[in-house]
Amino acid sequence: MNALRQLWRSFFDIRPNERGRVLFMFLNLLFVLFAYYILKPVSRALFLTKFDIDKLPWLYILIAAVGGVLAFVYTKVAIRSSLSKAVLGSTIISIACLVILWALLNRPNPGAWLFYLFNIWVSLFSIMLVSQGWLVAANVFNSREAKRLYGVLGVGAVIGAAFGGTFTAYATKLFGVNNLVLASAFMVLMAYLAYVGLTRQPGVQLDRAKGADEEEAEFHFKDIVAAVVEYRHLQVIVGIITITYIVDVLVEYQFSAMAKANYQSKEQMTVFLGSFFGIYLNLITFFFQFFLTALVVRLFGVGGTLQIMPATITLASIATLAFPSVLSTASARLAEAATRYTFNRTGMELLYLPLPTELKNRTKAFVDIFVDRFARGLGGGILILAGLVDLEVRYVSVIVMVSCIGWMYLSAIARREYISTVRKRLESRRLDIESVRVSVSDPATIQLLESTARQGNPRQAAYALSLLEASQSAALGPLLDELADSPHPDVRAKVLELARKSGHAALLDRSLRELRSFRAGEHSPTLAPAVAYALTFSPEVARLARTLLDHTNDQVQESTVDFLADSPAVARELLATDWFSQCKSSAQPHRRRLAALALRGFPDTHHADLLPLLRDPDPRVAEAAFRTASVLQDRSYIAPMVDRLCESRLRGSALSALAAFGPRITGTLGDLLMDPSSSASSRRHIARALQQIPHQRSVDVLMEAIAESDLSVRSAVLRALHRLRETAPKLNFGRTSVSDQILKEARNYYELHAALAPLRQNQDRHKATGLLAATLEERLKATIQRLFYLLGLKYPPREVYAAYLAVNRGKAEEVSTAIEFLDNTLERPHKKLLLPLFDAPEHLAERGREEFGLQSLDAERAIRTLLDSGEEWLVCCSMAAAAELGIHSLLPRIQELRQGAGLEVGRVADMAVAQLAA
Amino acid sequence: MPELNLIEKVIALEAVDLLRNLTPDQLARVATIARELSVAPGDSVIDGKQQESLYVVLDGSVDILRGSDLLHTATQNEVIGAWSLFDPEPMSLTARTGKSGARLLRIQRDDFYDLLSDNMEITASIFATLVKRFRKLVEQ
Repeated sequence: MNALRQLWRSFFDIRPNERGRVLFMFLNLLFVLFAYYILKPVSRALFLTKFDIDKLPWLYILIAAVGGVLAFVYTKVAIRSSLSKAVLGSTIISIACLVILWALLNRPNPGAWLFYLFNIWVSLFSIMLVSQGWLVAANVFNSREAKRLYGVLGVGAVIGAAFGGTFTAYATKLFGVNNLVLASAFMVLMAYLAYVGLTRQPGVQLDRAKGADEEEAEFHFKDIVAAVVEYRHLQVIVGIITITYIVDVLVEYQFSAMAKANYQSKEQMTVFLGSFFGIYLNLITFFFQFFLTALVVRLFGVGGTLQIMPATITLASIATLAFPSVLSTASARLAEAATRYTFNRTGMELLYLPLPTELKNRTKAFVDIFVDRFARGLGGGILILAGLVDLEVRYVSVIVMVSCIGWMYLSAIARREYISTVRKRLESRRLDIESVRVSVSDPATIQLLESTARQGNPRQAAYALSLLEASQSAALGPLLDELADSPHPDVRAKVLELARKSGHAALLDRSLRELRSFRAGEHSPTLAPAVAYALTFSPEVARLARTLLDHTNDQVQESTVDFLADSPAVARELLATDWFSQCKSSAQPHRRRLAALALRGFPDTHHADLLPLLRDPDPRVAEAAFRTASVLQDRSYIAPMVDRLCESRLRGSALSALAAFGPRITGTLGDLLMDPSSSASSRRHIARALQQIPHQRSVDVLMEAIAESDLSVRSAVLRALHRLRETAPKLNFGRTSVSDQILKEARNYYELHAALAPLRQNQDRHKATGLLAATLEERLKATIQRLFYLLGLKYPPREVYAAYLAVNRGKAEEVSTAIEFLDNTLERPHKKLLLPLFDAPEHLAERGREEFGLQSLDAERAIRTLLDSGEEWLVCCSMAAAAELGIHSLLPRIQELRQGAGLEVGRVADMAVAQLAA
Repeated sequence: MPELNLIEKVIALEAVDLLRNLTPDQLARVATIARELSVAPGDSVIDGKQQESLYVVLDGSVDILRGSDLLHTATQNEVIGAWSLFDPEPMSLTARTGKSGARLLRIQRDDFYDLLSDNMEITASIFATLVKRFRKLVEQ
């Protein structure tokens, strides 16, 4: 029984908290593929029975071109909406289109265009719903879960496809071919219901995910071409993929031609294609994927795996050439399609592996959007040329075989390039195996990683071990045993950490030895992993934990508490006792810190005990309390943490802890942000905390503060909004209020400019008037920065930022380009006020008069205005400047301001009054 | 002598090379942590042990010595111990006031760090100044 369970787990390792998600995702993919595998044979059968085979290459080209454009448009639209909206939208569109297509197909004598349209639409369906299904999966499971669970989900897809094909084969006679389109629409609806079930599972949050892969919508053709020219590795990838899709089209053509010759009616054709695509192809694919792919990769490596597809197709093509028939072409088609989705896909995924993540994502998007369609279009073009020279269908196999030889050659080069790139990336510790959604079992890679783990420098060795763990290599256990005695603490720490994660229990003695060796005050990277390991695998956890809590080394005690806090049962037994009472009121900060950490383990009974620890004068205690607060998330913890934002040593942890509470505390933070009795420093940091909560409520709260009178707070608020716009561009940034604030800031700029005009000639910063002029200059710069922050909330943020940098650098050519951009982008009221700031600064006074009625000022009136600004530093500078310039008319105003002024303003006022009165 | 007001402190701080890139607004914030200090003639300002403050000479003079050798006499607006804000290591020099004593403006390291942690733009400006110095040294 145990063996059976282990076998089951080796295939389907589903953890209890994943069951709901897996079930509904499985059903979603099953229904989507069910729908797709009805449409695929139906659309193709209708086309093949309607037209001669020579029209098929034109369909390939149309699908590549029109389907490509539609897919691109869909991606651009989807990226602007959330994934949940995209799923709902595409479900409604799909069902509506299917119903309309069904109605059109059932009209007497439907036009020829309808059959082209139907086939093109089916190609879009695969992007809208099938790719979207996998995109949902990518957002529901992280990459580690994906490695375990994608196999299960793949089974759902295969079952859906097989059911779809079988259903099509049997239902054609019952309902007629055209009516199957409605059955497909029903399956789309079922898929959506499964999706709704999925969204109700704990932890599933799809509102923030985008409706399409960002890279697919954002990549720039020019950048990718430049990268392809630069990297040989990419050239090989693009070459292989181009040949793959050309061969796909050629083999599919041969298969369709033979099918057309054998099956005359659309019913017969639909039944045949339904059985072929849905049942045979899927079952073979399933068999390859589950039982052969991993084995093949392990045995033959990346290069060998990539050779299998062209080699198999070559063999099948020889058969087609010798004995052209439905059987031989179907074998070629089976060999092509089944190996493409199994060996080749895994091989290609590994081939992408050593590329930098960003380049990898962009290249994949480029391949999906462009190379795929270009190659299929090229395949169609080759077939049209073949038709022009009356090449028989069987001889297309020759073109296929020649292409396969080129393909095998490229695969051999790919292997060399792959190894060389992996080595380079490993040396620079930039190999990202974690994010790859297949297990890396290529023997050359594994060997390279193992040898680096044994012989690399300690950091490289630890890194290689992490990669081996991420690759889910079977060889990890013996290697961990071997490296457990490494002289390097970093390596031993990694060994213990990975051994614990992978359930490798053979190092218990080693970890206990490690623990015994620690002395009081000693720090080592092995300390925390050794504690966690020993407590995980010890048969007597409670006894060992008790011993470790009395260890002479503080860090050992802390790591023990950290571990126990995550094991509530043991924590209650050991920690929620006298031990806790003694710790929380201990005079030793270290003991109080332990109490703060331990509270995570029994929140229900002692939640109020954290409050004094959050206010503890020792920053180490408070920091630990913040960590616990971020987990327990009781609202009463907010105020003590906000109070400590002004302490530089605690700020970082307080901000992280507050951000961990998420959107539910944005209202409280907003109240504090708007509270003028709080210090400006504290309010600035609250803006930073809100910036770390990418939610509409944060934006709303910050938007309320964009007109805040304190300039430092206003700048912090705008900076926070700017960052939020970058991290969560889909949030609504209240365009109207932003517009109003832009106009207010613009007016502020004109006013400052008018005040600076009579003082500008005072350049000496060792004099008060020079300081005042320099201050106003800086205020103008800061106003420009705030203006650009605001513009970034209303207009495209990246371009606005680029314009800001250009304006700041001040190079004539760049400024001119920035002005050109602003001229083309800004709305008229903004353009009218802002362009003169950069375009015609000499006319600002005139424009200020026209727009706001601002009069030219002399020094006396300018300083009088600034004395009334209410800003301490500006008032101080203005008083001192008035005294320095001997403007006696300002003496009464300065005396007036002296009343009730603070210490600094008072001292400067006394000095100014003394000078002016003398 | 009356205590310096904010404007006078800012003008004095303008002399500090390390703070050269700061705007007047930012210097005003530094000025709030600068304290005036009167040192009697011949008293020690820097004793060669751990140094935690920067000084600007407001009045009087301060002799900078290596052992008993006089290296320099710092007078009005000159700065002593600028690097001690960043480097806690003991200094190889000592400093003591001249015959007339000295009035100094002192910025302590802890206050300075607190200020930096609250004012990222001041930190960025100081980094920019330090980087310029390094670049100059490298180019030399």
